[in-house]
Amino acid sequence: MTENAMELVDVRKSIGSKQIIKGLTFSIKKGEVFGFIGPNGAGKTTTIRMMVGLMKLTGGEIRIGGKSIVSEYKEAAREIGAIVENPELYPFMTGWQNLVHFARMNKDVTKARIKEVVELVGLEKAVNEKVGKYSLGMRQRIGIAQALLHKPSVLILDEPTNGLDPTGIREMRQHIRKLAEEDNVAVIISSHLLSEIELMCDRVGMIQNGKMIALQSVRETEKPDKPALQDVILEAQPIDKARSLLYAHSKVEARVDGDLLRFQCEKEKIPELIAHLVGEDIAIYQVGAGKATLEEKFFDLIGENTIV
Amino acid sequence: MFNLIRNEQMKLFLQKSTWIMLIALVLLAFFGVFLTRPDGDEAKYTDANWRATLEKENKKIQKEIKDIDSKANDQYIQYMMQNYEVNDYYLKNDIKPLNYGAWQYVLDGKDFLSFLSLLTIIVAAGIVANEYRWGSIKLLLIRPITRTKILLSKYISVLLFALIGLVLFMIVAWIAGAIFAGVDGLNPKVAVYSNGKVVYDSIIATVFEDYGFKLVNLVMMATFAFAISTLFRNSALAIGISIFLMMAGSTIIAFLMDKSWAKYILFANTDLTQYTTGVPIFKGTTLGFSVTVLLVYYVIFTVVSWISFTKRDVAGS
Repeated sequence: MTENAMELVDVRKSIGSKQIIKGLTFSIKKGEVFGFIGPNGAGKTTTIRMMVGLMKLTGGEIRIGGKSIVSEYKEAAREIGAIVENPELYPFMTGWQNLVHFARMNKDVTKARIKEVVELVGLEKAVNEKVGKYSLGMRQRIGIAQALLHKPSVLILDEPTNGLDPTGIREMRQHIRKLAEEDNVAVIISSHLLSEIELMCDRVGMIQNGKMIALQSVRETEKPDKPALQDVILEAQPIDKARSLLYAHSKVEARVDGDLLRFQCEKEKIPELIAHLVGEDIAIYQVGAGKATLEEKFFDLIGENTIV
Repeated sequence: MFNLIRNEQMKLFLQKSTWIMLIALVLLAFFGVFLTRPDGDEAKYTDANWRATLEKENKKIQKEIKDIDSKANDQYIQYMMQNYEVNDYYLKNDIKPLNYGAWQYVLDGKDFLSFLSLLTIIVAAGIVANEYRWGSIKLLLIRPITRTKILLSKYISVLLFALIGLVLFMIVAWIAGAIFAGVDGLNPKVAVYSNGKVVYDSIIATVFEDYGFKLVNLVMMATFAFAISTLFRNSALAIGISIFLMMAGSTIIAFLMDKSWAKYILFANTDLTQYTTGVPIFKGTTLGFSVTVLLVYYVIFTVVSWISFTKRDVAGS
């Protein structure tokens, strides 16, 4: 058995003469949460639609658990649970009726399993109301519920936190991590909320103009061969004096960002720099150290002026 | 497959509009014939007077036919002539005719079946297009079930709806007939005009024969609406075109009457009673010809919906 839950091999899609997807190759491991990001029109939704069989591939291959979505559709589709764009269920039916409807389309989904899924997403109270009366957050939950009914090995979620309140977002995050860690489900999340992706995902693929432009682990460990440079944020007054002092002391080039100074230096050097600034009568309000956020990486890669 | 049809029926009957349509159908079945039947026109045939009553009716018919000169009323004249011959049949064979009752009520109800065709068109036009409108198509087509099966379950559901409507219509019409006109035995016989002559037959057999002919039109128009709806993914368009064509069908035929290809138009062939009780619209066409034309149209409609449903991408929202 392969360790990959889903594989894309040179996937291409053209509509008319226009190439939308220009050869995507990547794979998602079992138990991995994979973030799929990119500006609007980059091809995220098209790729997801091809993964679930809503669109046909112009070229290449998508395999789910080793089964081709093209030639073994039924076997492959059995492994997938998905929400494509918004979770649009039947508004005139109750949540329960909707779930029964989709349960009938798979083999071996029992009433007990439906109940279990309803509890998992916390919809016990609302399940007998019509879906048309649901809030966006509740719709998101029932959407997740229908995707989980048949215990898929790959879960594909488009904007899963859209419309959720902060508590809901946190719960969703916990659900997704739990599914990945305990049930070994591969989760593919597309979102434009980059901070959300950063918190949830193990790995991120960035797509632009139908091509994968970056594929990297979120929880990347520092590479040992480089001197460990760290991003430092410093709130100090007066800010301009602090900036020139930093440069004079150890050739550190800091950037002014509002009230903050941002610069990079080795971790061991930070206490020394702070001591120096304090000695020169600079008032220090806060010091922070961290890695570049996903958002910064994102803009580095696609350029600042692109609409996300 | 069974589960898929169950799903489609559940979705259909959980929509309010379906129930509104069925209620309208029930009301029409109940009052339709009662309201349109000429008041007191049909006499009560008693043992003593039925011969005299029939003769009086026939004299009236003869007078009426003489008064109408216009050729435009061909159909009506023919209808009157048939009534005349039926009456004549009773007199010659010395059979006392059946009084108007529940089964005649059902038989006359066949003229209201185009309303059921209309409802079936609405259902057929919505059953695929609505999935696109609701967006639920994206959740429906990612299941481990081929699109062909999903489409087939939807088509069967449309026919099932028509069947439910039909049974409901007949039962309600019979009950209404029993209330307004009384029951005349469980399976009475009547004289009817069929294939150019009068035959004395069970009224139930006549009911099913006449209803069966009406269903040809219903199935063809529903299949047409279904095809348009899967092709354009728009129920309003499918309803509009189908109902327009159903209403205007005979006008279109009359308009194109002198064209040699007009006999191949769908509407020239949907009414198969032209070969049993009436005159064929086009000279030289036979029942076999019409059935072949209908089958060709049927295959075109189903292939169009099958290809557009199974081969096309589900894109955009």
